[in-house]
Amino acid sequence: MTFSVAAPPAVAVELFGVPRLLAAQRHVVVAGRTLGEVAGALAGACPALLGPVLDPGTGWLVDGYIFVAGERFSRDPGRVLGEGASVLLVSSVAGG
Amino acid sequence: MHGTHGRFLRVDLTERSVAAEAIPDTVFAGLIGGIGLASWLLVRHCPPGADPLGPENPLVFASSPFVGTGVTTASKIAVAAKSPQTGVIGDSLSSSYLAIALKRTGFDALVVTGRAATPTVLVVDDGRVSYRPANDLLGLAPERVAETLRAELGGGFRVAAIGVAGERGVRYAAIANDGRLAGRTGSGAVMGSKGLKAIAIRGSRLPAVADPKGLAAAARDLAGRSRGPATAKYREVGTAANLAFFDRIGVLPTRNFQSGHFAQAEAIGGETLLLEHGTDKHGCAACTVGCEHHYRTRDGNGGPETDARLEYETLFALGSLCGVGDPNDVLRAAARCDDLGMDAISAGATIAWAMECRERGVDLGSPMDEVPAFGDGPAVLRALDAIGARTGIGDLLAEGSRRAAEIVGQGSDAWAMHVKGLELPGYDPRKLQTLALGLAVGTRGACHNRSSAYEVDLSDRLDPDAEATMRATAAAAAEDQAAILDSLTLCKFLRHAFADLPAEAAALHSLVTGSPTTADDLLRSGERITNLKKGFNIAQGWTRTDDTLPPRVLSATPEAPTDLSRPWLDQMIAAYYGVRGWAADGTIPLAHSARIGLSGLVE
Repeated sequence: MTFSVAAPPAVAVELFGVPRLLAAQRHVVVAGRTLGEVAGALAGACPALLGPVLDPGTGWLVDGYIFVAGERFSRDPGRVLGEGASVLLVSSVAGG
Repeated sequence: MHGTHGRFLRVDLTERSVAAEAIPDTVFAGLIGGIGLASWLLVRHCPPGADPLGPENPLVFASSPFVGTGVTTASKIAVAAKSPQTGVIGDSLSSSYLAIALKRTGFDALVVTGRAATPTVLVVDDGRVSYRPANDLLGLAPERVAETLRAELGGGFRVAAIGVAGERGVRYAAIANDGRLAGRTGSGAVMGSKGLKAIAIRGSRLPAVADPKGLAAAARDLAGRSRGPATAKYREVGTAANLAFFDRIGVLPTRNFQSGHFAQAEAIGGETLLLEHGTDKHGCAACTVGCEHHYRTRDGNGGPETDARLEYETLFALGSLCGVGDPNDVLRAAARCDDLGMDAISAGATIAWAMECRERGVDLGSPMDEVPAFGDGPAVLRALDAIGARTGIGDLLAEGSRRAAEIVGQGSDAWAMHVKGLELPGYDPRKLQTLALGLAVGTRGACHNRSSAYEVDLSDRLDPDAEATMRATAAAAAEDQAAILDSLTLCKFLRHAFADLPAEAAALHSLVTGSPTTADDLLRSGERITNLKKGFNIAQGWTRTDDTLPPRVLSATPEAPTDLSRPWLDQMIAAYYGVRGWAADGTIPLAHSARIGLSGLVE
């Protein structure tokens, strides 16, 4: 008996503010089933985010940043994303 | 109390009289300073029914115990008066050196009443008062006024000045100092109504703090944290970073709130501006964040370009709200608002109201070519000049959107986007429900700085389906936190640099004042200050019907869906009054006033 594991879905990540400036791009497409996996994949796709935005140790967001997935703000790495999901990465410091 | 002088300077311009009056320690203990102190002085000196542009309306400038202590971002001055725009409390904050200069005079606050017989500069030099004729300064931009006076009086002076808008009584005129503005609610018009073109202040006497060594260590620690990720957005991109993101999530007010999306958002977004127009950045006095980004137009074809300071609120109001997508036009308009000395939010929003009038064929009593069309950047610039000079269509628009709609009629109040006469900031409340409540009940009208409830909506802290009491609790807490920061005169951009804001701010307060202060003390002060301001409004004629939102945001259109409705807003407002301990009609029961320790501070 063989098992096949589906490849994680492609997720379009739109970058705003500091993440956009560091990555020098507005959109990145990575693979991931959860926000945690997306963050990990982002670290590979945009190494400039490591440190200022992504914790090099955990691969997760440092304080001060948040994802928006499906119109919900989330810092939950376990949040599951659907097929064709679009995710925004932005400062969690609102306002000004 | 350490960190304060315990007195304020009262100057009456009609009589040219000067008096030093005491501020009891109980006022600082109960209301902190800054906006709390300014509100207290306003309540004491502004009679009910006062004409906001009359001599009886006091113009208050107040510092706080933190000013001049070296605590990062604390160099802010609070300004208060009865607003000529709203008829209720007009309070604003402006950063930088003026606050330190005032504190050095030996007074914690300055209260100006009366009206000068001729245009005047009030000079306060270490507590000594003199007057200088201001005829030669009329018509000058605030920055030029400051340059002139500093060259004449000496570099140690710091200057608060009005521009042409304040001279001409534009109801949303601002007071400028050190390149910053006490922008909202029209304090510049109040200053102009007093015949006061400028106030020049110098001093040499800061009060001692209780624990200088302890404070220095705590201030160093906070300064270090202020340079971390909690402020990276402001330092690296500036508040303009909001624009492209707000557009993406549909909360960017566009074409007078007809939509939450702007097709040219990326062209005027903060990231684009920084890369294509950014020149340098600055910080206010005693600030380690440095959020103020400067930009330059890039379409001069070899001719002179325009330099501008730009914040998100200016950007949205003169950009997407007016449908203007050329960054050069927006930068020029921002610089013009600073030169004229007026609030860019209210200016842009009132122009956007006129643009919609044009679109709908409403007669504004001026030739149609004077009324700008959506997207016409050069026409916005012409309208700003006309407003400053109060000529042509500008005379109507200088009244602000509420009054202009009342004058014009023809149903145009339906798209006058204000609360209590103060135009909405750059957050579309249709999708930001907690903020919607905060804007509706705000004591100075539709203000994101006094409410800060957008932070709840733009986070994972509250379920999108949260019921009314949860929203009310969050809105009240956001309002009280803003009152604490505004009274400590700490910058709101610092708020996430604290792990526990009330506790750490209380510890700093103890080190400055020598009066042991707990987090609960500060939280109670925040509540007290909000109630004090509301009490002022009630005395000036506020009624329950004033707590509302523009009808446009309460009903959906295909371009602008809304999560709000009149019944839902009313439900949230009722819950908010309940959370506050107020009566169902929004008034403050005497017993509540006594319970929160407010009755002992005001008569």
